[in-house]
Amino acid sequence: MSELFINGITSFIQSTGLAKLFAATSETPLAFAGVDFGSIVMLIVACVLIYLAIGKQFEPLLLLPISFGMLLANLPFSNLMHNVLFVGHGEPDFVMNFDEIFHHGGLLDLLYLGVKLGIYPSLIFIGIGAMTDFSPLIANPKSLLLGAAAQLGVFVAFFGALFLGFDLAEAMSIGIIGGADGPTAILVTKTLAPKLLPAIAIAAYSYMALIPIIQPPIMKLLTTKKERMIKMDNLRPVSRLERLLFPIIVTVVVGLIVPDAVPLVGCLMLGNLFKESGVAERLSKTVQNELMNIVTIFLGVTVGATASADTFLQPQTLYIIVLGLVAFSISTAGGLLFGKLMCFLTKGKVNPLIGSAGVSAVPMAARVAQSVGQKENPTNFLLMHAMGPNVAGVIGSAVAAGVFLAMAKALGIL
Amino acid sequence: MDNITQGAVVAIIGVCTVFTVLAILWGVLELMRIVFSPKGKKAEPAKKAPAPAPAPVAAPAPAAEDDSELIAVLTAAIAASLNQSTYNLKIKSYRRVDSAPIWNRTARLDNLNS
Repeated sequence: MSELFINGITSFIQSTGLAKLFAATSETPLAFAGVDFGSIVMLIVACVLIYLAIGKQFEPLLLLPISFGMLLANLPFSNLMHNVLFVGHGEPDFVMNFDEIFHHGGLLDLLYLGVKLGIYPSLIFIGIGAMTDFSPLIANPKSLLLGAAAQLGVFVAFFGALFLGFDLAEAMSIGIIGGADGPTAILVTKTLAPKLLPAIAIAAYSYMALIPIIQPPIMKLLTTKKERMIKMDNLRPVSRLERLLFPIIVTVVVGLIVPDAVPLVGCLMLGNLFKESGVAERLSKTVQNELMNIVTIFLGVTVGATASADTFLQPQTLYIIVLGLVAFSISTAGGLLFGKLMCFLTKGKVNPLIGSAGVSAVPMAARVAQSVGQKENPTNFLLMHAMGPNVAGVIGSAVAAGVFLAMAKALGIL
Repeated sequence: MDNITQGAVVAIIGVCTVFTVLAILWGVLELMRIVFSPKGKKAEPAKKAPAPAPAPVAAPAPAAEDDSELIAVLTAAIAASLNQSTYNLKIKSYRRVDSAPIWNRTARLDNLNS
């Protein structure tokens, strides 16, 4: 009787997470003297991120689910998430086994399928499309070039990552952080370098939250006071017909040239057409609110849950964070320098500050351009002018992502 | 080193494609503007602003002041309350409605707060 009792208690104790934490085997990554430091550090990292989300309000809508997902997945024995099912043990020819995932996967494994199959980023893009007003871009299509120039950081960071020893697929995923667009970065990374997903997603979203701190010094460094004070002419009015044709034209043009960008650009434009058509208000409201929020929860929690000690607590995570900052800064500089060129070509009609808004991150980047411009000249209103390059940047980073995916296929990495 | 050369090719093709695609879009949009933009009827129908308060009686704004900021704010407010784009609105005049009787003001506040 008493033996049964003791056996019962022992097996219960062995099934607790605490037992796992303090009786780690040699197979557990970062275990030392039987203590699973990896999981403990991850739990602390998760708590720090939760603090940043709530206390500092860094993109809380995303960082909060991401950090809590991280907490959930790193509780020993919680069995919510099994990265092995998706990335294997490092076999070069690993193929996902759906049967295994459906039968043995935990809650987060099943939800993670939405990331792995590329469903969530596209659904979020429908919502973003329905929230975006493209009129400033239609009124001033030159802004498209600023949106292209501000992708410079993507390619520079890509190159930097190669020099630091990442392979091509990983470098592409890191570079795309410079596109300053969360869903795009996630879509590329889950395809090309799923192991880096948590680090890249966290870097992308954190830097987007830090845009008001990262951008202004670069903007002041690269422009003169005179340039920053330039006032721009009012934008022309845009007719309804133009706003209706825009999403269709963009989808067709981009789709014909970079088919790999269609899951993003196509969904973006679908959402926008819902909004502009004026006849599908219910759909437009749903994709902007309910759908977007639901998908954000699933996306955040599962991306956070992929952060396990063995993939996240690596020097490469630090490299990614540094390269992400480089990517953001150079994208900003690229937009600004092209803005200066346009300022010169139009004989001072374009304020170069709007170029910095070319790094998508709608609408923060445009607001930063507005506030920096207003500091020099309180009567200057650049916001609408900056929205043009800003939404062009979304299209630009989606195209850059499509190019990377296409090149990866061409080089046989995929 | 092989990675770096491949990377250079990817980067060059990447930059060029991004610029080409967006430049083509620029061209197409310019074309669209030429074909469809409401050129003749500049500032299209220009609905008269049904200001939130009973105010659309023309009153000459103080001419000396630069009131573009105020106009921008008014346009945005009207657009938001009518759920329309600011492009369809044109503020022709505005007038402060301080002189309203107390009951009108109460009702208006009530409306604003509800």
